Amino acid sequence: MTAATERFGEPGRGGPIDGSGPRTLAAPTGYLSDVAAMAGRSIRGLLREPESFIPALIIPLFFFVVQVGALGKVAERAFGISNYAAFQLPVAVLFAAANTSGGNALVLDIANGYWDKLSLTPVHRSALVIGALIGEMFAVVGYSILLIGFGFVIGVRFAGGEVLGAVGLLGLTVLFGVGFAAISVAVALATGSVRATQTTFVIFFPLLFLTPGTLPRDQMTGWFKTAVAINPVTYILEAARSFIFGFNGPVLLKGLAACVGFCAVTFVLTALAFRRRAKMG
Amino acid sequence: MSHRSSRLDRMSVAIHAKDLVRRFDEVEAVRGVSLDVEEGEIYGFLGPNGAGKSTIVRILTTLLEPTSGSGSVLGHDVVRERTTVRRLIGVALQEAGLDPKQTGRELLTLQARLYGLRGSVLSEQIQEVTELVGLADALDRRIQGYSGGMKRRLDLASSLLHRPRVLFLDEPTTGLDPTSRTLIWERVRQLREQFGATIFLTTQYLEEADHLADRVAIINRGLIVREGTPAALKAEVGADVIDISVSDHESGAARVAIREMQSSGELPEGELRGTESGYTLFVPDGASNIAALVRGLDRAGVSTGPISVSRPSLDDVFLAATGGRLQASGETQPSQDGQRVPTGQGAGR
Repeated sequence: MTAATERFGEPGRGGPIDGSGPRTLAAPTGYLSDVAAMAGRSIRGLLREPESFIPALIIPLFFFVVQVGALGKVAERAFGISNYAAFQLPVAVLFAAANTSGGNALVLDIANGYWDKLSLTPVHRSALVIGALIGEMFAVVGYSILLIGFGFVIGVRFAGGEVLGAVGLLGLTVLFGVGFAAISVAVALATGSVRATQTTFVIFFPLLFLTPGTLPRDQMTGWFKTAVAINPVTYILEAARSFIFGFNGPVLLKGLAACVGFCAVTFVLTALAFRRRAKMG
Repeated sequence: MSHRSSRLDRMSVAIHAKDLVRRFDEVEAVRGVSLDVEEGEIYGFLGPNGAGKSTIVRILTTLLEPTSGSGSVLGHDVVRERTTVRRLIGVALQEAGLDPKQTGRELLTLQARLYGLRGSVLSEQIQEVTELVGLADALDRRIQGYSGGMKRRLDLASSLLHRPRVLFLDEPTTGLDPTSRTLIWERVRQLREQFGATIFLTTQYLEEADHLADRVAIINRGLIVREGTPAALKAEVGADVIDISVSDHESGAARVAIREMQSSGELPEGELRGTESGYTLFVPDGASNIAALVRGLDRAGVSTGPISVSRPSLDDVFLAATGGRLQASGETQPSQDGQRVPTGQGAGR
């Protein structure tokens, strides 16, 4: 006698749910259990495509090396920066965080019908999205640790002792990375189109470049300065820098506020796109 | 031959739909469908592509909300009690949506977890469904390496993990080779015998409905046009179909000759419909009657092209039920008795 039969009776007989006919084995599941199951699946999926890690890491690393190599000494002199590599490292870290696959895995599920298959189960449907975002978080943590480690190796030191600064940078980056990934997740849910989801990154690219990435804000002029000032990523980057150059209360707070605000917007968009998809089908 | 499950003391309705309507922008895919499927029944839904079969399945399996009307499974409304319904049903949709990056086992494990299965129940159920569909060897391979038939079987297996009381199979054997098809048919029957499951089956193949279903509903353009046991539907068509190829020149003479044979009793009563290549005659026991037909046409001096006898196909049931033939697009066209009309390419996909 199998465990199933022991517990639920012979198929075709046994304690029925509503008094007639055989009984199903299905039981209610907790929300966290559903999230854990879907997050596990997302992470497994990510780990099985190591090819996607490489561009996500190589590009920011490349920019970092080129910027520092080409401009390093000149920039330090021109802008009065003590260590250009340290100046550039948070840029690379945030850039990599924005480079995760985002909604790509999700849109593939929608396109090939697996989303529908999952939607047919009693799963809490929002767990499908949260699970995907947790997978993204996992990728961001991975990239960040690698890049921070790289920075450490080439001599970048963190404010307030290595651990505190690094952990702070990691935390902020994870929040930013997940918030940024939510944009393409929202597009994936709203459109179900692989093409649209993959071009999301290109559209939001400017957000990463209209920042004090190359030079400090106080040395900017004109339209560029204005654009940079209204970009939330600017404040996130400046807060990220302060984990290296020295904790600065107001800067950290502004960065955190900008990050939280940014995430609030993208999460709301994701929730709206999710509601629409869950309603339709 | 009744397939009613003997286990049940009283009949209860497993699937109920009342006046289901579903509109997509301007198009009404489902135009007022009502049905009742009893517990333990195998109910076949027969119709061409675009008839609304898949839409109705999506509504009854909680994937889609109806524009109006209501549906319920085992007494639970498919809109208001959707989570309960999802626990009670298993679904294998036409396009098996799977995750190519996972292995079969991982997919089944995830699926089982989402249904609340745990521990030894979970692992035993995975084994049970895997053996049922014959995928034990391939279970630890990535799904992207599976053939189309294997994916279908995995999809079917995944719908059975929680021993659903009601199973929805959307075109389970479309595109499969005959061996796989026979295997699936056996499994479907086994599911009903062994587990007392109610099975709602959509198909394009009359043969499949004939073999498996207790009752069949023919759906065309969003409406049910006929409902009954396969035997009754076949009787409506006449058991056999005789296709007669005849040139335009001889067409009139052939028609006259056949009508005369019918009124004289040489040939039994039956529908005579014009087709692209000649005529189709619906009569019982075609094998016996074809000889009389050939003799009579010969006697009347009518020369014909090939004449063949066959079992009714979906086309023919359709012809009888809707007065038109299936075309590739799924649209039907009315035919006037005795006139030539263009036909589609047989049972459309």
